[in-house]
Amino acid sequence: MVQILDIMEKALNGKPMSETDYQLKLFAPKCQEKVKAHGIKFDLKNPICDDDSLADDVFEAAVELLIDVGAYCTNTNRIISYTENEIKDALTNAPNEILMGEGKDKRWLRPRKVEDKTPPWCLLGAGGGACASDKSFLALVEGYAEIPEVDAITTPAITRVGGMRIRPASPLELLGAMRNAVLAREATNRAGRQGIPIMNSLATAESDIALAAALHPKYGMRASDGYMICCMDPMKVDFNRLNKVTVALSMGGPIGMCFGPLMGGYSGGPESTAVSLTAHHMMGILTYQSSWLLPFPLHLRYVSSSSREMLALISATGQAISRNTHLISINLNYTSGGPCTPMCLYETTASVTAAVVSGQSIESLGVASNRDEDRTSPVEPRISAEVGHAVAGIKRSDANELVKKLLPKYEAKLPNPNLGKTLFEVWDPEKRRPSKDYLRVIKDYKRTMAGLGVELKPEKY
Amino acid sequence: MPLARTHTCGRRPAFVKGVCVLGTDKILKDLQKAVLSYDPDAAVKATKAAIKAKVPPMDVIDEGLVPAIEMVGDLFERMEIFLPDLMLAADAVKSSTSLLLPLLPKEGKNIKATVIVATVQGDVHEIGKNIVASMLMARGFNVIDMGVDVKTSDLVETTKKEKAKVICASALMSSTLGSQKDIVDYLASTGMRKKVAVLIGGGPTSKAWAKEIGADDWGADANAAVKLAEKYSKAR
Repeated sequence: MVQILDIMEKALNGKPMSETDYQLKLFAPKCQEKVKAHGIKFDLKNPICDDDSLADDVFEAAVELLIDVGAYCTNTNRIISYTENEIKDALTNAPNEILMGEGKDKRWLRPRKVEDKTPPWCLLGAGGGACASDKSFLALVEGYAEIPEVDAITTPAITRVGGMRIRPASPLELLGAMRNAVLAREATNRAGRQGIPIMNSLATAESDIALAAALHPKYGMRASDGYMICCMDPMKVDFNRLNKVTVALSMGGPIGMCFGPLMGGYSGGPESTAVSLTAHHMMGILTYQSSWLLPFPLHLRYVSSSSREMLALISATGQAISRNTHLISINLNYTSGGPCTPMCLYETTASVTAAVVSGQSIESLGVASNRDEDRTSPVEPRISAEVGHAVAGIKRSDANELVKKLLPKYEAKLPNPNLGKTLFEVWDPEKRRPSKDYLRVIKDYKRTMAGLGVELKPEKY
Repeated sequence: MPLARTHTCGRRPAFVKGVCVLGTDKILKDLQKAVLSYDPDAAVKATKAAIKAKVPPMDVIDEGLVPAIEMVGDLFERMEIFLPDLMLAADAVKSSTSLLLPLLPKEGKNIKATVIVATVQGDVHEIGKNIVASMLMARGFNVIDMGVDVKTSDLVETTKKEKAKVICASALMSSTLGSQKDIVDYLASTGMRKKVAVLIGGGPTSKAWAKEIGADDWGADANAAVKLAEKYSKAR
């Protein structure tokens, strides 16, 4: 079994190569080579494919890709290579269930299968998006904790401490990370969800030192939370990230590697990005010692995951992983549209549907490409979770027909999306409910969804 | 022999036929082929052949390199090719121009301004920065790509040494936005602020942030960055 010391040995003794050569002369052409060799081709008129053999081809191509390109350490400028046996061994030994959270909020996180009737694990929140103040952080996380379907929280990132913008690896980042931990617990406590796991620990801690500092027990982080470590695109790691891995392993916290190969970037088009995304899953359990995986593929131009190419590659990747492994894969989706727009709700509906029927769980979501501070609210993750529960168990072919009806509602707007409104324009933290405007949008959306055959929970307001 | 290799989109370029009419000379066609097949070695070979044949260096640039790299830029814009193709094509152009520029008479150097491109201190995200650098190269700028996590002092010193007119500074994390402000402050403190335009970009940045820190402008994407570089380099 490959462990952290093995990773270091490989990082220190692997084949030397420049980063540019790794990306452009090894990784990128190998992605294309695998797609060609396996004849992988998506039918973008039908984004959610129900051809099992396509998913299996994507998986086989991904294993071959990982064997050929390994991972890349940017500190040593060496390739961390893996043999086929190491990959198979890691797949066999990967956990098939993780107990997350505490007390009555304790839940088993388990892998799902294609067309699984089990609802997805709902990791809900901001997907690490930036918030402008402690007030907005608390309002958001409290709102997330009240969502009935929530299994775990993904918090926003704090951007300021003492009125100053946080700087990387500075005392400001350490203080921000500590505050992130304390405020997240405070907000979940306020909602009566003391035991709910925070699974993007810690959004504010970009550097290893900030994560380590904020894990002092007095700040409230637990081994039953999730420790999310972001992989650099493509297949890259550095000592900062391996330090985080080592720290999380030392406290027994389950690591989730998050990775977002850009469609149109080094991985290429939709087919090769699906192969890359699948290979990243396996690279994550090895290099980042991950117990769970968090893919978040994004469109290079739209910085979202709702276009038809993105739906196709999310679905193919989900099926490739869930048909061929027992890895726990949680797809994070981004929308282009913002809060209080129908577009945002239709986008997240399409992405969540593609992931859930293909055997993944969900992290929802990054709103309006997660660009602006406070351009998000508790509504969008709630709707995403309701959709996730509603579509669990439906056939891929039915899901395909559904997304084909959703795409025309927003596809043409992706280049110039309506960014909607900001948190306190659409959310009343005292009443803990959306604005009247937003309620109208939500009700219209739910009526439309019912017309498309998806009955969502009635609005309680 | 194929004119261009298959792109990362899996298709052969649709504009291959166009190559034949771009150049009037086999050497220039070979140079275009090198760019369109993302081959820096072939670009160097074709450039050396052009120099040996005494083709005026400016003609090599204007009639050989520019039309080819503009096509590559347009294809990338339409996502008919992808990032690796764009970067390799830009690299081929850079390999060629590095041989041609020393041969140009000083008054004839109508190459566009020098632009410094970097991801700011503390930030290791490179894709957006790479796209901007490649698009600028594709549009004829002399691009100095300083990489990621670039110290502010190094960036400013390089700007001074290279007599750059524009800095494109990328930040992808809310925690590294402050490094963009450092660049503006550092330039001001060294008396260079008015000589250099500071353009910022990256996920969490905005026009409002550019205004707040005193940067000259903000680009939402690589295309915008190129247009802004055109505008601000002419103004300096």
